[in-house]
Amino acid sequence: MGVISLRLKDRDLERLDELSKATHKDKSTMARELLEYGWDFLMLKYYKEGKLSLTGLAKKLDVSISEALDLLKERGIEAPIGFDDYLKGFEVLDRVK
Amino acid sequence: MKMIFDSSTLILLAKIDLLRESAEAISIVIPSKVKEECLFKDSLDALLIKTLISKGKIKVEKAGNQEAVRKLRADFRIEAGEAQALWLGKKLGVALAVDDGPTIKACKVLGVQFVTAIHFLINLRTRGKLELPMAFAKLDGLATYGRYSRKIIEDAAQRLKGGN
Repeated sequence: MGVISLRLKDRDLERLDELSKATHKDKSTMARELLEYGWDFLMLKYYKEGKLSLTGLAKKLDVSISEALDLLKERGIEAPIGFDDYLKGFEVLDRVK
Repeated sequence: MKMIFDSSTLILLAKIDLLRESAEAISIVIPSKVKEECLFKDSLDALLIKTLISKGKIKVEKAGNQEAVRKLRADFRIEAGEAQALWLGKKLGVALAVDDGPTIKACKVLGVQFVTAIHFLINLRTRGKLELPMAFAKLDGLATYGRYSRKIIEDAAQRLKGGN
């Protein structure tokens, strides 16, 4: 595990202190957990905005694609598939009789 | 009919237990990287995909031109499996089965036809391969795991009933 020092705003320090007391964890552990939550949140946001593909999301979260789909389901994040994309698909599969 | 599958649609269909039926309806081809991505961790869907590959119901092909695949990845912010699937679809002139936003965008730019998991459900129902209650159970599964918009799910429900 590496060590860094960083300056935090008073408000963030208060929040860290509050969470640390509420969860009975030391501040370093709490800060590490918050970083992980923040990373996951940001990657899901990138996926939602179309900046990350599904496989890209799975890689960033260090999970399988199947697990990434489970996570998207849990978070209720809608698939980035438009109604026009959906309609286009019928042109292809209508040929399968 | 031959179709190239990306990991997203392959896993979605496996999750709702419709992959076997889809593999009977069309000839499924996946690039080697998609196989690797789908079998990355042990899970029920990975096991089903592995079984279908070993039975020859899903064929694995190598995507040849690494430079072109690299360019697709860079141009469309997609990963290796998605880029290989796109490259194969373009090279073979066949449609891509994909449920991934950036890869669908790439299909539109490159003029590669595409379908999503929900189209396989509707097609199987239209061809009388699924009873209506079962088709609706699968639609529920796709609404959950596929996370399609309400508009798409409502339209698909009408089509399952024979309304469109």
